[in-house]
Amino acid sequence: MTKRPTALPAAIALALAVALAGPAAAQDDTLDRGIGSEWSSLDPHVNFDAAAGWILSDTYEGLVNYNGDDILPGAAERWEVSEDGLTYTFHLREGLVWSNGDPLVAQDYVDGLMRTLLPETGSERGYYFTSVVQVVGAADIIEGETDDPATLGMTAPDDRTIVIELENPAPHILNILGGAFSMPPLHGPSFEAGGMGVFSNPAQVVTNGAYVFREVVPQSHVLLERNPLYWDADNVQIPFVKYHVTEDASTELLRFQAGEIEITYDVPLAQMEALAQSHPDELVVSPGVNIVYYSFNLLHEPFEDINLRRALTLAIDRETLEERIVRAGATPNYSFTGGFDPDYDLPTIAEAAMTQAERNALAQELYAEAGYGPGNQLSVNIVVTVAEESVRRAQGIALMWQQVLGVNATVEPQERKAWLDTFYAGDWDVFADNLIGDFPGPETFLPYMRPSAEAGYNWESPEFEAAMDIAAAQTDPQARLDALAVAEQILLDDYIVAPIAILNSRQMVSNRVGGWIPSLVGYSNSQFLTLD
Amino acid sequence: MLLFLIRRLADGLLTMAALLTLTFFVMRLAPGGPFSSNRKISPTIRANVEAAYNLDQPLVAQYLRYVRGVLQFDFGPSFRYRDYTVADILLNGLPFSLTIGLWAALVATVTGVTLGILGALKRNSLLDYSTGTIAVIGIAIPIFVLAPLMQVYFAVMLRWFPVGGWNDGWRSLVLPVVALALPNIAYISRLTRNSMIETMRENYVRTARAKGIGRGRVIRDHALTGAILPVVAYLGPATAAIITGSIVIETIFALPGIGRHFVDAALNRDYPLVMGITILYGFVLITFNIGADILRGWLDPRVRHD
Repeated sequence: MTKRPTALPAAIALALAVALAGPAAAQDDTLDRGIGSEWSSLDPHVNFDAAAGWILSDTYEGLVNYNGDDILPGAAERWEVSEDGLTYTFHLREGLVWSNGDPLVAQDYVDGLMRTLLPETGSERGYYFTSVVQVVGAADIIEGETDDPATLGMTAPDDRTIVIELENPAPHILNILGGAFSMPPLHGPSFEAGGMGVFSNPAQVVTNGAYVFREVVPQSHVLLERNPLYWDADNVQIPFVKYHVTEDASTELLRFQAGEIEITYDVPLAQMEALAQSHPDELVVSPGVNIVYYSFNLLHEPFEDINLRRALTLAIDRETLEERIVRAGATPNYSFTGGFDPDYDLPTIAEAAMTQAERNALAQELYAEAGYGPGNQLSVNIVVTVAEESVRRAQGIALMWQQVLGVNATVEPQERKAWLDTFYAGDWDVFADNLIGDFPGPETFLPYMRPSAEAGYNWESPEFEAAMDIAAAQTDPQARLDALAVAEQILLDDYIVAPIAILNSRQMVSNRVGGWIPSLVGYSNSQFLTLD
Repeated sequence: MLLFLIRRLADGLLTMAALLTLTFFVMRLAPGGPFSSNRKISPTIRANVEAAYNLDQPLVAQYLRYVRGVLQFDFGPSFRYRDYTVADILLNGLPFSLTIGLWAALVATVTGVTLGILGALKRNSLLDYSTGTIAVIGIAIPIFVLAPLMQVYFAVMLRWFPVGGWNDGWRSLVLPVVALALPNIAYISRLTRNSMIETMRENYVRTARAKGIGRGRVIRDHALTGAILPVVAYLGPATAAIITGSIVIETIFALPGIGRHFVDAALNRDYPLVMGITILYGFVLITFNIGADILRGWLDPRVRHD
């Protein structure tokens, strides 16, 4: 009883001391990462945005796993491919459990894919299994023809075996089975109990990755804690990971400088040069599987002429554009797919080896051949998003077309959602387009250019279709790449798009973080990182 | 009075109904939809997603469904933040916006009124000139310039407070509250000073002084009540604006309030969230207006409404 009176002032003093003891700058056992604006969903079968994909890759594990661009065994310790390349058999590790201790069995992965495909889930991710690879029966489920799991070409003959059957060979399937982005398992009991809301509720959600959810505060942060039941928990170094929402890149940079965040989501364009001077070893600029190209509207009369398309493609000085005008560290590109796979013999436009002066001279010749000149000026509009980097690039290109050819080009920046709709409405001459790939290889981009697959380009090319069909039938990875190169050359020779650049990711990575490997597709799981 | 109240409430409901209807249809005129995104998605998949959110139904049917929901306090799911309903998002964000807003309103009022009175009583003194200068600066320099400067100095260099986020208890509050309060401090202090100077010249104040009442009591009991009226009038709408969240402050300081949704929801074509925010904002404004009317009638017999 006599203790009370002394305890209270002591407690107040302690509270004050704690409160005043300097900003609680990042606890040493917590890795603080920026994720830009708010995650769109923590539902592993629904999420379709890259930043949330990082959180989910830390908390769920697919059959394989990625560190940088290396494919590692994940929940599956090994796998085999059938002779015809159509059947993949995965063998799960022994003794896998969910974060609540329930055994993790092969059927959980089948259930996960089923949920992704069923129309009532409303997931945009089904395209992985009908477009990127073709899993037997996936299309019928998406289209609502059936909801019978027995029709799906993914089965679990026993608790540790998963068999995936494909309609066409797809050696790149391993590139999409990892992380949590495409095929995370489903923990049935918690989902049945809590429905969709379970995935963002730390008290209910059950995961199987290196981390579990501790706190989810919308618009603010997600706090993860190491999962002691993860099969490789002994090798996970950092006890806590906190993902911070910081929409404004300038604020995020200040938070990095104040030590509140160790890995940022982005770097403000205007700060790039200063940071390269002041933080050369912390500014990480690495190419991503993200290509920018300008599409010509083949339904607009002037662009029916290949000479004009070729002239416009050639009159862009890509080096000057990226280094002097855009200055965002992007890489000039003369191919379509960018050459992310070292085994791929990358085709380029025929004039890639010329100097820019030679290209300009040729462009002027072709422009005249197409019937344009001082007396007959070509006017085009370039539709682009309002993002600063995209607008700068478009203005640079418009200027080059003006100076080299005398084209009257106007840049029309549109807010992103409107820009997407404009493409289909066809109300554009030149569309500042970009594609983000799912894996580092040509096949992540080329199928979208198939006239049969993509209505928007209005390109007709039986040669390209035939070349793609040949490639799609190849089971040997190198033979497949060689066949794809033939197709890409056909695409480039027709100049239906002007390749421009390969975009990069820009991040600040603190010196305190170890094990950071730049990744083309942007995987950087916290489980492989260390923190001093 | 009762009749007046009923009439105002009916007006308010009508305004809300018009607001809801107009927003619902005007929003759909903007090009692009919530799920227009990456062109990789097959039409079937996109149709599935849209059907899951009833976007495949005719617009009028969607409208009726929405109105039915609102009458039952169901504002629908968010399209962008798919783990949450619109009600979840607003209820999650509102406490943050309210905390920042109420503190900012309190700080602005107390500091502003104090500085204003001191300035009025010690006119043309050093104190008066310096508060005057600070007030002009506070009004003239936009907050999106001042706030980053505060971050650089107090957070990055001195490390007294965090740059942003809501992870440090009261420390996280300080910079955003000060940034949000500053322009209001400036305005309120000027308003108080001028009104105080006016009031001190009033006959009833002179009479009080002539009767031999002490200076301190005259100021406290007589002058201040008169001088504070314009400040109170200003505080009504100002507080309404402050507590519904400031998009600039919340973006710069990375705070999880609702202010940021005002713009983001529209850019993302998150129709239900746009609706929810519009309804919330409309509700707060109309409520404050009715409250202000009632208060005015109560304070000033000349504007009674019966």
